[in-house]
Amino acid sequence: MWTRKAAFSITGGISLVLIGMMISNFQLMVIGLTFVAFTVLNGWIKGHGNVEVQRILSADNLYKGDDLFVELRITNRSMRRTQQLEIYDNVPHEMKLRSGLNYMRVNLGPGQSTRIRYSLRCPLRGHYSIGPISIRFRNTFNLFAQEMFVSHHSDLIVFPQVRDVEEAFIRSRTPKMYTGASTLRTPGPGSEFYSLREYVTGDPFKNINWKAFARTGDLMVNEKCRDAVTDLFIILDSRDISRIGTVLKNPLEMGAVAAASLASFFIQRRDSVALAIYDDGVSYLPADTGDKQYFKILSSLAGVVPKGSMPLQAVTNSLSPRFSRGSPVFIISSIEGDGTVPNAVRDLVGRGHEVTILSPSSLDFERLVSRIPRMSYEVLKIERQNRLTGLAGFGASVIDWMPDVELSQALLQVKDI
Amino acid sequence: MLILVRKGFRKYQRRVLISSFYIALLFLVFLLLSTYVNLGNTKQLSAYDNDWDDISEFRKEISDLGISTKSLVSSPLLLNEIENPTNSTFVISGVEKDTFSLPSIGSDSSFISFSEPEGYSTSEISAITSFVERGGTVIVLDDFGYSSGIADAVGISYSNHRLYDDEYAVELDYNYVWMNISQNHTDWEDSEEFHIGHSRWHQGTDPTGTGMHPCSRWSESDITFATKEEAGLCGHHYNSTSKKIEYDYDYNLLLNAPSAFESIEFSGTFSYYEAVGRSSPQSYLDLNNDGKITLETETAQSEADAQGPFDVYIETCDSSDCADSSGGRIYFISDGSALINAIYSFDSANSGDFDEDGKSITNIPSNDNRKWALDVIAESALTANNFTNKDAIMASSDAMVIFDESRHSQNVLFTDAYNLVYFLLVYLTGDGIGMLLLFILLFLAFEAVLIKKTDPEPWRHIFNIIYYGFGDAKRYGYYTRTNKIKQVFLSRVRNLNALSREEFDRMPAQELQDLIKDPVLVKFVFENKKYDLEQTVAIVKRIKAWQKG
Repeated sequence: MWTRKAAFSITGGISLVLIGMMISNFQLMVIGLTFVAFTVLNGWIKGHGNVEVQRILSADNLYKGDDLFVELRITNRSMRRTQQLEIYDNVPHEMKLRSGLNYMRVNLGPGQSTRIRYSLRCPLRGHYSIGPISIRFRNTFNLFAQEMFVSHHSDLIVFPQVRDVEEAFIRSRTPKMYTGASTLRTPGPGSEFYSLREYVTGDPFKNINWKAFARTGDLMVNEKCRDAVTDLFIILDSRDISRIGTVLKNPLEMGAVAAASLASFFIQRRDSVALAIYDDGVSYLPADTGDKQYFKILSSLAGVVPKGSMPLQAVTNSLSPRFSRGSPVFIISSIEGDGTVPNAVRDLVGRGHEVTILSPSSLDFERLVSRIPRMSYEVLKIERQNRLTGLAGFGASVIDWMPDVELSQALLQVKDI
Repeated sequence: MLILVRKGFRKYQRRVLISSFYIALLFLVFLLLSTYVNLGNTKQLSAYDNDWDDISEFRKEISDLGISTKSLVSSPLLLNEIENPTNSTFVISGVEKDTFSLPSIGSDSSFISFSEPEGYSTSEISAITSFVERGGTVIVLDDFGYSSGIADAVGISYSNHRLYDDEYAVELDYNYVWMNISQNHTDWEDSEEFHIGHSRWHQGTDPTGTGMHPCSRWSESDITFATKEEAGLCGHHYNSTSKKIEYDYDYNLLLNAPSAFESIEFSGTFSYYEAVGRSSPQSYLDLNNDGKITLETETAQSEADAQGPFDVYIETCDSSDCADSSGGRIYFISDGSALINAIYSFDSANSGDFDEDGKSITNIPSNDNRKWALDVIAESALTANNFTNKDAIMASSDAMVIFDESRHSQNVLFTDAYNLVYFLLVYLTGDGIGMLLLFILLFLAFEAVLIKKTDPEPWRHIFNIIYYGFGDAKRYGYYTRTNKIKQVFLSRVRNLNALSREEFDRMPAQELQDLIKDPVLVKFVFENKKYDLEQTVAIVKRIKAWQKG
């Protein structure tokens, strides 16, 4: 690629030659030819971007707001100097450079290597990819530049933040039926000892009770009490309307934080947690427990984007066969723009589910970006209160979640409805 | 599906349009180039090819005489670059291609001329005449080509009709015509005066007088030369027996399918014109172009061919009598092949040197074409007016003969393309309008570089989150309407009293008033009254405070 200087040099040179020809001035022609020759000769002197690049990340998965440390190792594997190389690591624009630089100018000799270290802050959840690495060669006189890419990508997931909600659940009037894992007096997978029995083919070796074997001479295995767990269903509203507010503060962002926090809390208590996200369709993660389920939930929440306008009743109708009887259901939605919400809630309550509605106040998020006339705001607010009151009237626990209120605080406010 | 079909059709339509545009563009370029590039033509009359119909023998001979020979493949505009053309000769042998009609500075009527004369552009003709005015010599050999532009510039006109003459080379055929150089035209009526010679070179009617040609002057000086080479540019008149230069003023030129000039009054800017060579009285000009001689007695007068003699060889000079040895001259002969190898070196031709596959050249009669051509060159190059010093008969260091190859068709694409590019380069740096165009072009190029060419963007990480806002401002007005506020309030009353819609609808008005209690709100619900802004605000405040206590 020619630089502007090279273009000037070549057009200037040709112009001087032509003008020299016009006015029969040999000196001008010689100067013009010198310019042209200089530019052409510089075009032949090239460096190279034949380097090996390796990127090391401090983590592949991190939570929103965390810092990521990146190290880039560049090694010249060729037998000649690279000449002036600019190396730039392409970082998603949603990430903020905290320290160091993702750019360096190097001139590496054969076999030489260097490192670029920088740290990034990730203020937005999502699935990201760092890379490729851009390499640009410039010749000494900055007449030509050549750009290359090293197609080396590092993928990472930024999970939504997870808040501690344990205290809120203890102190709040939220129904205390989320008891976590409780043991049943029947054998099965669990943690507490139930009895000893003889070994049968297929039993894992780790369950063999070696002391009993030593005492009796027969292979005996430990049997555990089966843990009974609660299936918790979280339904997250990811419709287009949930983008109301700013990119950092909107019902969807807060809903994702709430869903992650609740999932974390209940999975830690060894409950099974299912997640349904609805936008223009429903993506459903069946109920399960454990770290794997937790990772799945966080990954799903990291990639959620506002779109579509699916009604809640369509979601509950399609998922009702999967709901365990009497299991608690958490609906995280602004309850805006969906006339089916009362019917959906009534149906769920009617089927014996404990329904809790965590509703980020989209009206107050809208105030962050738009000046709502005072009187309109008050009337809208009353209308929203009416809507929430109506839902509470169906037997659901309703939480009106204001933008500046922490999740744990919001969970305490269930009594206010 | 319909959208997909439309998109597909638009894509197809766009492709067709783009293809049509490029086809039209290529067609226009082809048309433009086809006027200049003629690959089908046979290459001939070139000073650098050795076929029988080229003029390389002439070039080699003058080169052997120590005269520098050059070819001009771009444009005669380059003649302007010769500072002192006194000893230079420009040879135009056949103008096979017309010029490009590029804009140039007009001569008289217009400032800028967009149409050009035939063969050469106005600027090129101006360069040629300027070359002559500054002392250069031009030989124009052409019959049916594009020489009329340069001929018109000096007041001469080609007839563009084929000349047939009873005086043809009987050894060959009627296509080879003899042209005899006479002293004056009137003598043609008297057959005894038929072969007198070149009037100017021979100096008047007196056959014993001293001629103006330098070889004639050297002949008169009685100086002896040991060898032919010592006789320099007059070596072709050297008599090896007498060791002297013996100038012969008689020229029998053999022409091949010539044309003739129009018998008109000379009207050019040059002061001296002479029709030196004419056809015989028994010559005919094929005016009806039927390839036959049609006499007046055989057909209607309008269809008959004209009977000669006709002017075939004309000289014109810038001086009054062409006497100035350093003055410029133009020699016009209405035959492009007067100096082709087969005629110029007839001995070599007859001995088979120019034979080609299946074509043998024999019986070319002895002629004076070579002598004439070398005499023209000698007159052009020997300008010293010193006829005693033997060095003066040799070619000076600045003597030069330039062959115009720019108007010869090439049968190789790249040669023609090269000539075209070279022509454009010379046009843009030599012609006034061309230079103006070039200046504009350079200016635009600089502008384009300045505007369009950008350096590679510096790499910098930019943290950029789009802080978009999303709301529905249209609904705000709706929520200030009285009816909407009333509806919201009644919903509140119903909700807070845990009533279903049906229960609420069946409720008597008095009971509802009791539920509301607040007389202002009761009035607001039951009276259809218009409220101003202040009153509405007060009502909303009361609704908000309702039942809070």
